This record gives sequence, C-alpha cells and structure tokens, in this order.
Amino acid sequence: MKSLYLKPTWLSAGASLDERCGTEVVSGFSDATTEYKTIRDSVGLTDFSFLSMYRLPEETAIDLLDSILACNVAKTRFGRMAHTFLSDQDGNIIADCYVANNDEEFILLCESIVEPEELDAILMENGAEAAQIENRNDTHVLLGLDGVDAWKVVRDLFGADVLGLPYLSVEMYPFEDEQVTLFRAGKTSEFGYMIMAPNTVANALCDKLQALVSEAGGGLCGVDIHNDLRLEGRFFNIQREGRVVKDPLVLGLQWMIDFEKGDFRGSEPILAKRTQGTTQKIIGVSTEGDCEAFAPGAEICHGGEAVAQVVTSCFSHVLGQKLGLAVFPVAIAYSGLEFALGAEDGAPVRTISMPPIVPKSLSVRLDEM
Amino acid sequence: MDDVVQKQIERRAQVIRALKEELIERVNLPYTPEDLHEDISLLGAGLGLDSLDALEIVLCAEGRFGIKIPDDSVEVLRSINTIVDYIISEQDRKDAAA
Repeated sequence: MKSLYLKPTWLSAGASLDERCGTEVVSGFSDATTEYKTIRDSVGLTDFSFLSMYRLPEETAIDLLDSILACNVAKTRFGRMAHTFLSDQDGNIIADCYVANNDEEFILLCESIVEPEELDAILMENGAEAAQIENRNDTHVLLGLDGVDAWKVVRDLFGADVLGLPYLSVEMYPFEDEQVTLFRAGKTSEFGYMIMAPNTVANALCDKLQALVSEAGGGLCGVDIHNDLRLEGRFFNIQREGRVVKDPLVLGLQWMIDFEKGDFRGSEPILAKRTQGTTQKIIGVSTEGDCEAFAPGAEICHGGEAVAQVVTSCFSHVLGQKLGLAVFPVAIAYSGLEFALGAEDGAPVRTISMPPIVPKSLSVRLDEM
Repeated sequence: MDDVVQKQIERRAQVIRALKEELIERVNLPYTPEDLHEDISLLGAGLGLDSLDALEIVLCAEGRFGIKIPDDSVEVLRSINTIVDYIISEQDRKDAAA
C-alpha cells in the first residue's frame, strides 16, 4: 500500500487512517460536523496525496493524454486545467482526472477507483515510457486548502496575485529552495486550492500551511468529509456515485467529453450508448430530517413499485435534511416530484434541483479584495 | 404517474428543452440537449462558462421566457435546474397576479 509521506505529522495531530484503492488516506481528525464547519465557515487543510500524480513534457503530453482521456487536451490553454475522466475499455469510468497545462509541462492528477499500479500500467500501454512520463506518487505531496477563507491562506503564502487565478488554473510559486505547483481547483463549492510540492519541502510547507490555516480560524480535515461537501455542491464523486454507477452518460458527465475529438480509451462504447440514448439518469433527491433508511441501496417507490435507487447520501448541515443522488428512468428524472422510500407508505422523498445550497464563497468577490 | 404529475413533468421538460436549445445556440456549446445534464454547474466548474456567457443566459431567459433575472442573482445561474426553477416560479407568480 502506498503510504503518505506526511503520515507522522498527521498521526501526531490525531489523524485516523484508512485505505482507498491501495493508497493510504487520512479519513479524519475529529468529528464530521467539526470538519464540515471548518470548510464551510473558514478553511480546512486536507492531504490529497492519495491522488496519482504524473508530469509529462509538453512535446509528448498531448498525444499520450488525448489518446486516453475523454477531454480534448490540445484545447487546454496554457495556465489552465481540464476536468475529465479516464475509462476502461468498456467505457466505465475508473478515474476522475485533472489535466493542467503548465508552460513546458503537463500535470495529470487522478483520483481513481483502481490501484495506482493499474493506472501506471494503462499509461505504459499507451506509450508513457516514450513520452518520458514522470510518476510523482513517491516524490511529491498534494495538499488541499478548501473553504470560504482558503484564499486568505494562499494569498499569505504566495502573494496577492493568486487572487486573480480563475477556477481550474495552474501556476508555479517558489517555496524555500523549490518550485511548488498551485492548482486553483476544489470540489466543495467553497474556494479550493491544491499545492503539489516535492517531498524535500513537504514538511516545511505543511508546517507553514498549518500555521496559516490556524491563523485563519481553520483546521485539519480528512478526506471523508469531502464526500458530503461534494454531494452538497453537486460535484462528481468517483468514490461514491462513480464507484456504483460507472457509466459516464448516466452520471451526467458528458461535459467532460469532447465528442468531436476522435478516439480515446473506452470511447467506442460511450459513443454507441450516446447514439442509442440513455434510459437512466442520476438526479438529486432529499428527505426530511436525518432518516437512517435514506442510504445507498435504498429503493425509491411510486405506487408501491420501485422506480429508482439511492446511490449516495449525506446529511446536509446547511439544509438540515438528508440529501442524495439516485438513478431514475429518464422519463421521470425531473426535479420537484414526490416519491416514497422503500414502500408506498415509506418516508417521503422529493427529487430536487442541484446544487441545493448557496455556498458562502459565492458572495466573496476576490477581485475586490 | 397521475395526470397532474404528468402535466408537471411535461411543463418542466418543455422549459428545460427550450432553455438547453437557447444555451447551446447562444453560448455555442458543442453538445446536444440530451448531453446537458440539468444539474451541471454552469459557471466556473462544469461547463465553465464565464461572466459574458452568464449575461447571455440572462438575456436568453428574458427573450425566450419573458422573465427577468436580477443582476445579482448568481445563485439562480448555478445550474440549468436552478434556472428552470426560477423561470417556473416567476411564470406562476405572473399567472397568479394576472
């Protein structure tokens, strides 16, 4: 199992560890409510080093990445990132990916539901060696800053020009004697950044970030709370709905695909399904209170018959009710309809428009800071 | 589904279809209406539209549906579904006032 480079630091701070597809993760530091509020109300520092990280020289990156990823890598402008996915040969999603065009290099970040060795093998099969790919899984850390005040931490670390970075952009900054890579990204609907740094400065960077996060009133977070935050913000979560549904068209991920670019890994079955038309669609659902039965696997019924199934759920602290995603037949996959959980007389379930919350960050104007 | 619910679905489906067609044409999106999930984030994440695109959406809602989206209603523009909710609620409000 891939171990976290900063594991001693996290353990000394009270981390609980877990495993995701052959990689170690910090699942949490405290209770879920505390970590949730840390990100919604201030800023949380999370270790995302369980993502697979690769660097490719610009001259070889586009051909390799375009042959496997669903987006059009060649159209990703300098300094920007594309959010896309990697599928298997059957067109089932196996990794949620960011591709960053960073001057003379491309960076690929993959959150996968397969082990890192399988991702490595896919890249090797598609010419990674000739493309001079650099696997950074054992040489770099990836630290995330998320929250309504995350911008304050990166501003204090790198300077005020970071406030001008648009969502899905990339920039290099000096830190001690090294260059670190800052990604303006995140899946909480609050401000989000990730910093990729070589192990040689990882401890110093981590200490600095912890101090700045603490000054901003924030704290340490594990990866588990991000499942709830992603659902509230209706960001795709490969660890939850992705792992269950797998079909990118049922998941509504057509926006991650360039249908005009030609072949990519798994494109043939995906394009065939698109031509046939999908019969199912994943949509948002909610029920009142903290209903325990509203959980993955629960059936949603109409007139006593099961019509849909919950694939992921969480308790929304903002709304005070359970939220989820469920797979419905396309004909009734509309917001605003009433159903019942489990049986005709089960708890009421309503299909809802997503995202259901308005994040605090939406009212912060960084260009006016 | 009973008739009332079926009518509710048909009304929403019509608004969604019209909004998607307008979006695809005005913002020049390389997708069909079926490709666009109603919950996709429109600005920043997801479709990654910018502030000029947002203006196009506001103009589109005014032109096609006869409703006005206030300048500061960023929350309305979060997804196709949130825009459709607003359009339907404004249409209902107008009908009730008429």
